[in-house]
Amino acid sequence: MNVSEVISITKPVGLDNDIDSDVEMSDSENQAQDSFKQSIVTPGELVTDDPIWMKGHGTYFLEDRTFSSVAGNISRVNRLLSVIPLKGRYQPETGDHIVGRITEVGNKRWKVDIGTKQDAVLMLGSVNLPGGVLRRKSESDELQMRNFLKEGDLLNAEVQTIFNNGIASLHTRSLKYGKLRNGMFLKVPSSLVIKSKNHSYDLPGNVSIVLGVNGYIWLYKTSTGINSATNTSVTSNTNMFRASVDTTGSYAIGQGSVSITRLEEESSWEIYSDKNDPNISNSVRSNITRYNNVLRAMSFCELGITEQRIIMGYEASLSYSNIGSLIDKESMESICQDIINNEKMRG
Amino acid sequence: MSRNTEISTNERTYFIEALKCGLRLDSRRFDEIREPQISLSKTEFGYVELDWGLTKLAVRVSAQIGKPYEDRPFEGLFQINCEISSMAWAHFDNSKNSNEEILIARIIEKAIRRSNSLDLEALCIIAGEKVWNITVDLNFLNFDGNFVDVGCFGAMLALHHFKKPDISIVNGGEDIIVHDIDERQPVPLSILHVPICLTYSFYNPGNKESNLKGEDDDEIYLLDANLIEEQVREGSIVVTLNKNRELIQLSKNGGIPISANVLLDLSFKSMKIVDELTELIKKVISKHEKERYEELNLKMLEVGADR
Amino acid sequence: MELYSPEGLRIDGRRWNEIRNFECRINTHPNSSDGSSYIEQGNTKVICVVQGPMEPALRSQANSNEATLEVNLSVANFSTTERKKRSKSEKRMVQLKTTLERTFQQSVMCNLYPRTLIRIDLHVLSQDGGMLAACTNAMTLALIDAGVSMYDYVAAMTAGLHDQTPLLDMNGLEENDMSTLTIGVIGKSEKLSLLMLEDKIPLDRLESVLAIAIAGSHKIRDLMDSEVRRHGNIRSSKLAS
Repeated sequence: MNVSEVISITKPVGLDNDIDSDVEMSDSENQAQDSFKQSIVTPGELVTDDPIWMKGHGTYFLEDRTFSSVAGNISRVNRLLSVIPLKGRYQPETGDHIVGRITEVGNKRWKVDIGTKQDAVLMLGSVNLPGGVLRRKSESDELQMRNFLKEGDLLNAEVQTIFNNGIASLHTRSLKYGKLRNGMFLKVPSSLVIKSKNHSYDLPGNVSIVLGVNGYIWLYKTSTGINSATNTSVTSNTNMFRASVDTTGSYAIGQGSVSITRLEEESSWEIYSDKNDPNISNSVRSNITRYNNVLRAMSFCELGITEQRIIMGYEASLSYSNIGSLIDKESMESICQDIINNEKMRG
Repeated sequence: MSRNTEISTNERTYFIEALKCGLRLDSRRFDEIREPQISLSKTEFGYVELDWGLTKLAVRVSAQIGKPYEDRPFEGLFQINCEISSMAWAHFDNSKNSNEEILIARIIEKAIRRSNSLDLEALCIIAGEKVWNITVDLNFLNFDGNFVDVGCFGAMLALHHFKKPDISIVNGGEDIIVHDIDERQPVPLSILHVPICLTYSFYNPGNKESNLKGEDDDEIYLLDANLIEEQVREGSIVVTLNKNRELIQLSKNGGIPISANVLLDLSFKSMKIVDELTELIKKVISKHEKERYEELNLKMLEVGADR
Repeated sequence: MELYSPEGLRIDGRRWNEIRNFECRINTHPNSSDGSSYIEQGNTKVICVVQGPMEPALRSQANSNEATLEVNLSVANFSTTERKKRSKSEKRMVQLKTTLERTFQQSVMCNLYPRTLIRIDLHVLSQDGGMLAACTNAMTLALIDAGVSMYDYVAAMTAGLHDQTPLLDMNGLEENDMSTLTIGVIGKSEKLSLLMLEDKIPLDRLESVLAIAIAGSHKIRDLMDSEVRRHGNIRSSKLAS
């Protein structure tokens, strides 16, 4: 079918464009030529005729021809040809520190929403149960699962493995993981969270943050419980417990402080307590709100999120005495501009 | 209605391979329909039982007098009612909510009602006040594929067979007398054209990519699918034509893409079958008329001299 | 009021082979959805929002082999010149919804997302002919925006017949008076995924109507593609910086 048979009149293109601005009836050929400069491919487009390439994600093939199945950038790595989509849901990888919400209590497992295509699972055997690490899982544990974690609870965990069908399996076998309390939750696009070694930070203003790789964030009052002094005195022969609590990522368990050496005796139900700290001061609460708005501003301007930038954003926001005004578009843009400027200044 | 879960992979593969060899499981040709068995009721007008292979349908046409729509005071009322219950096939839902059932009802309605096959203005008695309200009830008794074609054919047959009671208007338009059929001969309906639906089912012998990006059109199409063929099919198109070479409606509700050339081809080929089926209706009805004429000795009631 | 003047002009001043003003935007709802789009074809305006692939809300929707598509079509009460309450379970709505689901079941690579649900919400804000076509186009764009793997674009267009002349891209007045054919074409090919003709046309005229409708669909596909590329390039350069 001859496309030139069809008349279409599109709006005149802007003057800041390279295309001839005196041509009001722009046809598709001009625009197509411009776009071929970048390597964006769209679904159904022929990527290559060469049979030598291995076909990766985002492509499909017929005989020798490879076509793209998503809108994205072509990636050629060794012999693997794939198309990376511009947008997509978070893809879990082993070792990712994520924040999730329980959606279902099932047979010896919980289903957790972490923003992926299928909900992740948290097996009963992958959590710490009160009474120590080597406690055997009994039938009564299965029946009491809801007492530990129920629908709607938020927790931070690590991705342990990914099954063949794409479902992630989580674990909370460390004191720094578990149920979250004393704070608030927010979501940002997962592409903005830059992966780093550590994802729990203490921020100025008595606020701490858990920055999940999946874009789910937990802001909370910094715990006054475990401090670095007690941790460094942990000996390695305390039941092979993974003392993965490091100095920056200390995690408060419930209200009281629980030192590792006394974990067995404590058999604390506090790790699954549903009670918040009753003494959260107003200043801490307003700081949490401030951080929340700064993160929203960074998400709005599509800025990558790191600990440094959050702190810079917080400092920039201190000039706004009314925290609520931070949600205006201009304020958000100015905060992000300050962050970028600060970064450039520090080199 | 969950169609895809009822057939095993082996059955499906066997079927497709047979198609590739040019064989259909009931040894019909690819473009051959099953022979309809028609039985018209001798005692009442408007009741027809239709057997199309193992698919069975009972149709009844009934008429009542009612008030017309306000914006159409000269037109009669016409409804088509499809009753698909789990009597026909265990997988049909008794409630009318299934998407499949609504599609079937909608296509039959578009083919018959929307195309004005029945002359609605001839149903008018007193404009703005009294008109005939014709209802066609399609009761599907057994499902062996292809409710659309059978339903449409059955409905048209029943409409041809039906006769409404004769009426006379008295008192200057105030009252109507509806005459009993024993008193006066009933009057047939005025049918403007006869739409015939034909359903083609598509099967893809290759893989999806070759269907979408390949150069040749090697999809296989079958006319008048039975139950197994319908369960395995990957797409279907309903073409409705009448004897005057008019395309009444075309419906392709998803399914594998087919090329425009194939579509045109199918439409032209369908004309022959449409002609045959329309002839069949006319033949059956006129035969029935003649029998009735002989039986009731209506010759004696005729007024007029023989020449 | 004549629908087609002897000089070859239609009621809105277009020629027989001229499409209405086509505008499309992608990623219009970045916070509330995985993919979104907005289409204007003349005065017909449709918003499409895609959520997914995601965990199905009902266990019964989880198909172990492929993704389930769920389309919700809601036509606003104010979409036509006269305000009219429309029910979602009306037969016509169910038919359109099922047609869209089945059409995209073929062009989305559903086997890549087993046990998930892709939920598509279409909102028709204004109707002036070509509603099914606009919905199809909006769905294509929104699914591309969500990063769902698809074999190709599904571009839809309407065409009708006035006397002996085929007319491309029918508006509301023309649709009421003439028979209209809606088709959905796969990419640049001549394969038809969606086909709907609701009123009579002479069989011998089918070819000419089909021909201009396919040409129109190809044009729409090009317009959609250039918008996807434009948006993609902007986004790509942002990610790089």
